[in-house]
Amino acid sequence: MTSSPDHPLLELRSIRLPGRTAPRLDDVSLQLRPGERVALVGPSGAGKSSLLAVANGLLRPEAGEVLWNGVAPARSRRRRRRQQALIGTLWQDLRLIEELTVQQNLNAARLGRWGWPRALLNLMLPLETAANTAVLARVDLSADLLEQPVTALSGGQRQRLALARLLRQEPLLLLADEPLAHLDPRLARELLALLLAQASGRRALLLSLHRPDLLDGFDRVVALRQGRVVLDAAPSALAGPQLAALYRSEP
Amino acid sequence: MTAASAWSWRALRLAPPLLPLLPALVWLPVLLLLPGLSHGGGWDLIGQFAGAAFKPSLDPLVLSSAFTGLGVTVGIALLGWALSLVLGLVGGVLSSRTVWRTATGSALPAECIRRLLAVPRAVHELLWGLLLLQLLGLQPVVAVLAITIPYAALVARVVSDLLDALPTAGLEGLRLAGAPAGPALLTALGPALQPGVISYGGYRLECALRSATLLGVFGLGGLGTDLRLTLQSLQFRELWSGLWMLLLVMLVLEALLRVLRQRWGMPARFGLSRRSVGRGGREVVLGALLLLPLLVLVAVALGVNPLQLGQLQPLPPWTADWPAVAALPWPALIGSTLALTLLAAALAVGSAPLLLLLMAPWPWGRALMQAIWALGRLWPPPLTALLLLFVLQPGVLTAALALGFHNLGILGRLLLEAEEAAPLQAEEALAAAGAGPRLALLYGRFSALARSYLAYGAYRADVILRETVVVGLVGAAGLGSLLLEALSSFAIDQLIALVAVYVLLTLMGEDLSDRLRRRLLAA
Repeated sequence: MTSSPDHPLLELRSIRLPGRTAPRLDDVSLQLRPGERVALVGPSGAGKSSLLAVANGLLRPEAGEVLWNGVAPARSRRRRRRQQALIGTLWQDLRLIEELTVQQNLNAARLGRWGWPRALLNLMLPLETAANTAVLARVDLSADLLEQPVTALSGGQRQRLALARLLRQEPLLLLADEPLAHLDPRLARELLALLLAQASGRRALLLSLHRPDLLDGFDRVVALRQGRVVLDAAPSALAGPQLAALYRSEP
Repeated sequence: MTAASAWSWRALRLAPPLLPLLPALVWLPVLLLLPGLSHGGGWDLIGQFAGAAFKPSLDPLVLSSAFTGLGVTVGIALLGWALSLVLGLVGGVLSSRTVWRTATGSALPAECIRRLLAVPRAVHELLWGLLLLQLLGLQPVVAVLAITIPYAALVARVVSDLLDALPTAGLEGLRLAGAPAGPALLTALGPALQPGVISYGGYRLECALRSATLLGVFGLGGLGTDLRLTLQSLQFRELWSGLWMLLLVMLVLEALLRVLRQRWGMPARFGLSRRSVGRGGREVVLGALLLLPLLVLVAVALGVNPLQLGQLQPLPPWTADWPAVAALPWPALIGSTLALTLLAAALAVGSAPLLLLLMAPWPWGRALMQAIWALGRLWPPPLTALLLLFVLQPGVLTAALALGFHNLGILGRLLLEAEEAAPLQAEEALAAAGAGPRLALLYGRFSALARSYLAYGAYRADVILRETVVVGLVGAAGLGSLLLEALSSFAIDQLIALVAVYVLLTLMGEDLSDRLRRRLLAA
C-alpha cells in the first residue's frame, strides 16, 4: 500500500490468545499503516472481537507482540494512558454511560487527557460545549441533544453518539467491532461512510463486519477463520469461491 | 477549548457518579474540628493497641477464656437469630396486606399489626437487653431475647414487604378456581418468597453475631465482655487474641453465606442483579433440619431456660417526677442525637466510595481497606469510642467517628458487592480510551450504582439513628447518654420518657428515609 515513512499505527506480530478448547487467535500478524482502511471479516467465532480487543490493549496475548506506532505497550501507567488515548474503539454494545448526559458522555472521551479538576467539573457543569457541538454536527446530530440524558435517545441516535464520542477522543487508530450489526441497510451505509471518511491523513481504521456487500470503500480485507488469518488482500480478492470457503461450516 | 462563558451557578447539576461522594465533604469540617478535640496524650496507647494486633497473647488461659466467650457469643447469636426468623415469618405473614385481603377481604388488620410491630423495631437491641436485664436479672436468655425481639419485628417487616410486592395473578387464579385461602397463599406466594427470605435471613445472622458481641460489651455475656475488660485494663495483646478469633468466625460466616447465596441462586442484598431464581429447595430444607438439633444443643450448653422468663426481679420502688422529666433539655438532646446521626451517616456513606476510588489502582491497598472494613463491621462502636477517648475528648464528634467507622465497614462491603455486580463494560471502554483507573471507575461504574447505593445509605441512616444509644457511654452525645444513665440509676420515669422519644424519632426517621429511598429509586 502507501509507502509511509512512519511506523505502522498498529502492528500485530504472531499473536496467540488461548481459548477454552482451541486458541482464539493463533499466529496472527497484521499491519495497519496511517491512512489505511482495513475490513476484518470472518464467520462468528473466528476471533474478530478477540483481535480487536488485543489491538486496543484490553486483552494481553499469550505470545506475540503488539506495537502501537512502533512502540510496545508501556509498563508505566502514565505512558500507557497516553498510548491508550490514541486508540479509539467503537464497541458493538456502544458502552455509553446511561446515567450521564450526551455532553458528559462526549467529554468522557477526553478523560485520557484530562486531569481530575476537569473530570469532576464535567459532572457538574456543561463543559466544552463548542467542541461537542462540532462533533455532533459531524454525525448529523443536533446540539439540542447535549443536555439530554442518553436514555432519551433513539437507537440510531445512540449509534451516532457513540461515533461522535469516538471522534471527540481524536484517536489515531480507530477500531470498530461490528458497528453495523444491528442497523437497517440505509443507516449502516451512512455510518460506514462516516467511519471511512475519518480514516484520512495519519488516521487508520480497522473495522470488523459481517457483510461482504459493504467492502467497497476499504483498502484491504483481512479474513479470519478459526483464529487464523486466511486472507490479507484487496477487497476484490474476496470474490465468490473464496467467500464461500470462508463462511462454509466446519467439517 | 473551554466554554468558560457558559458557566453559571444555575447550570450546576451534580451527575449521578458524584452523588455517593457528596457526603464525604463532611470530612472537611471534621478535620478542622479534630485538632481542637484532641487532648494530647494517649497516642502511645493507640500505638500499643495497633502494635498488639501483630502479637496477640497466646497464653493458653487467655485463649481458652476467649474461646469460651466466643462460644457464648456465637450461641446467643444463633439462638436469637433462629427465634427471630420463626417469629418474624409469622409476624410477616400476619402483617401482609395480600394475606389479609385474601383471607378476609380487608387489609385493615395488616395495617394495624404493621404499626404495632414498628415499636419493638424502633428500640435498639441493646436497649431491649438492658431493659430485660432489669426485669429478669443476668441470665443468657436476656441476650437471646434482646436480639429476638427487634430482629423478629424487622424480619416481619421485610417478609410482609416482600409478600406484598409479589405479583398476585397466580394467587387470584387459584382463588377463582376455588382453592381455599390458606393453600392458595402457600402455593402461589410461598416459593416466590423463599429466595428473598433466605437471603435476608442469612444477612440477619451476620447482624446477630455483631449484636451479640455488642451486648457482651454491656455485660450481657460472651466475648464482648472480655473485649471491653481487656481494653479498659489496657491488656491489648489479650484483647487481640479474642478479636482475631471473632474476626475469623465472622469472615468464615460471611464467606459461607455468600457461597450459599450463590449456590442457591439467592438475590444479593443490593438488589442490583435481579436474576434471582431460588434453587436447591431440598438443600435448604436439609440445612434447616440440621440446624434444629444444633440449636437445641446450643440452648442446653448456654443454660437457656424458658421457665426463668416467669421469674421477674423485684424492681426498686420508684416515684414519678414528671415535671422534672419535662424540664430536661429536650431540644438540645434531640438536636445532638440528630446531629450525631447525620454526621455518622455522612461519614460512613461518603467514605466508602471515596476510599474505593482512592484505592482503585492498588490491589494491595484495596485488600488492606477490605481488612479494615471487616474489623469495623465487627468491632462494636462503643469500643471504638473508648479507643478514641484515649486521644479525643468525649462528645458528639467522637461518638460519630465511632459509629461512622462501624457503619463504614457495613456499607463498604455492600458497595464492593454492588461494584462487582455492576456491569464492567463502560469502565473497560473508558480505560481503553486512556482514562486512569480512578476516573474509569468513577465514570464507568459509580454511574450505575449511585442511586441504589444512596438508597441503601438512606436506610442505613435510619439504622444509625437507632444505634446512637450504643455510643451513649462516650457522654454528651444526646439521648443515648441520658438513657444509659437513667437505666443505671433506676430513674424509671426518665427512662420511659426517653424510650418514648427515641421510638418517636426512629419512626419519623424511618418514614423520612423511606420517602428518600423511594425518590432515589424512582428517579
